[in-house]
Amino acid sequence: MFSYTFHWNQAFRALPQMLDGALVTLEIALLSMAIGLALAIALTLFRLSGNRALSGIATAWVEVARNTPALFQIYMAHFGLGNFGIHLSPFTALLAGIAFNNAGYLAENFRGALKAIPDTQTRAGRSLGMSSLQAFRYIVLPQMLRIAFLPATNQMVWAILMTSLGVTVSMNSDLAGVTQELNARSFRTFEFFALAAVIYYVIAKVVTLAARLLAARMFRY
Amino acid sequence: MKISVLAFGLMTATALSSQALADKLDDIIASGTLRCAVVLDFPPMGARDASNNPIGFDVDYCNDLAKALGVTAEIVETPFPERIPALMSGRVDVGVASTSDTLERAKTVGMTVPYFAFEMAVTANDKSGVKSFEDMKGKTVGATAGTFEAIALEKSVKEWGAGEFRPYQTQADVFLALSQGQIDATVSTSTVAQANVKTGKFPGISVVGKAPYDIDYVSLFTNREEYGLINYLNLFINQQVRTGRYAELYKKWVGGDLPSLSVNGVYR
Repeated sequence: MFSYTFHWNQAFRALPQMLDGALVTLEIALLSMAIGLALAIALTLFRLSGNRALSGIATAWVEVARNTPALFQIYMAHFGLGNFGIHLSPFTALLAGIAFNNAGYLAENFRGALKAIPDTQTRAGRSLGMSSLQAFRYIVLPQMLRIAFLPATNQMVWAILMTSLGVTVSMNSDLAGVTQELNARSFRTFEFFALAAVIYYVIAKVVTLAARLLAARMFRY
Repeated sequence: MKISVLAFGLMTATALSSQALADKLDDIIASGTLRCAVVLDFPPMGARDASNNPIGFDVDYCNDLAKALGVTAEIVETPFPERIPALMSGRVDVGVASTSDTLERAKTVGMTVPYFAFEMAVTANDKSGVKSFEDMKGKTVGATAGTFEAIALEKSVKEWGAGEFRPYQTQADVFLALSQGQIDATVSTSTVAQANVKTGKFPGISVVGKAPYDIDYVSLFTNREEYGLINYLNLFINQQVRTGRYAELYKKWVGGDLPSLSVNGVYR
């Protein structure tokens, strides 16, 4: 049934090209994470602000980001905005799509983390003579980051894997793009895809381990 | 007694081994179904009509082939990048999918003699100022990922050392991006370019000229080791031309001068 002879050496010859692609993948994931974190903090503050309009914006963002496919979000950033004459390059469209998605999920993480901290702690801090800002800065924020850190790592891994959707908006320099092109040229689908899967796995694993080490150092009691 | 057991054993062994020798051509005839990989966002070669039925040159070609084999045709829609996985995983028997017969690909799949030939045309966004192939230098250009023209155009962009190349996953995305002005121009087969401009779905684009690339001969393909089937397919293609069916289908779907499928001065 499965009649296929593997040509692994052909795939290994393309390894340097694929590793270059992997760097671009990592770059997009890191950038999207940085932008996503900044946006998520803003969205969390919007929700806490008590201002109807601001918390409405934040809720709408989180709802759309969490309840529509990432593929759709990235496609809209390229072809959707393109319809209105706003032209994002494939790199920017992919980055924007993933950052949008990250911000939605991370904002929800932060909200959950905040909820897990009893407000009696804030009151205890205030009764010790801290200002409300001090109580937030020294008591709530460190705990919030601690609780939200590991879920945020998951989102980072998810961001790395989401970059592979860039091929739909003609991204050709990331790992998925490079792999698709090598595949189209030679039709050695299985070799190139297997190799790409291994590279994605390694990147994701390294990121997870690094985050765990970082967490162990940063969040020591 | 012993001899009859031995004879029975031998018969079974013969039956089994002859079954093992059945090749893909036998399998297709025995199953009564020919499954063709056809790209359906590539008009006029493959598309869907208003009631969502597959139509096009490749669809008719597959039906003709099934008729010749005395079986029923089944059109399996496969986007360009999925043609080979579909074949290798046994979801289709034959690709009737406008596949360029490059030497690189022939290392992986078995290619027949050409069954169709494309010329390449430049289609540009009217606002881009691209009026010919040479004008594409330094512009943002795109094509359908993995096609003959995409590989050639990317090479040109690299040689020019200016501009940007974008490979989209489907032909429809290329024309959408072109119509939106995300890319300034594209190279595609002239038949596909004219068919897409004619649909009116993509305003603000026009075919502006020819691209100086080699004629893109496309083949049917199947598994590399299926000589029996490849042999049959080659004869089928020959008969399609001989009987005038090729000309008939060309007139029906494309129109204009019938492209020659033979290369001067060399045998294949």
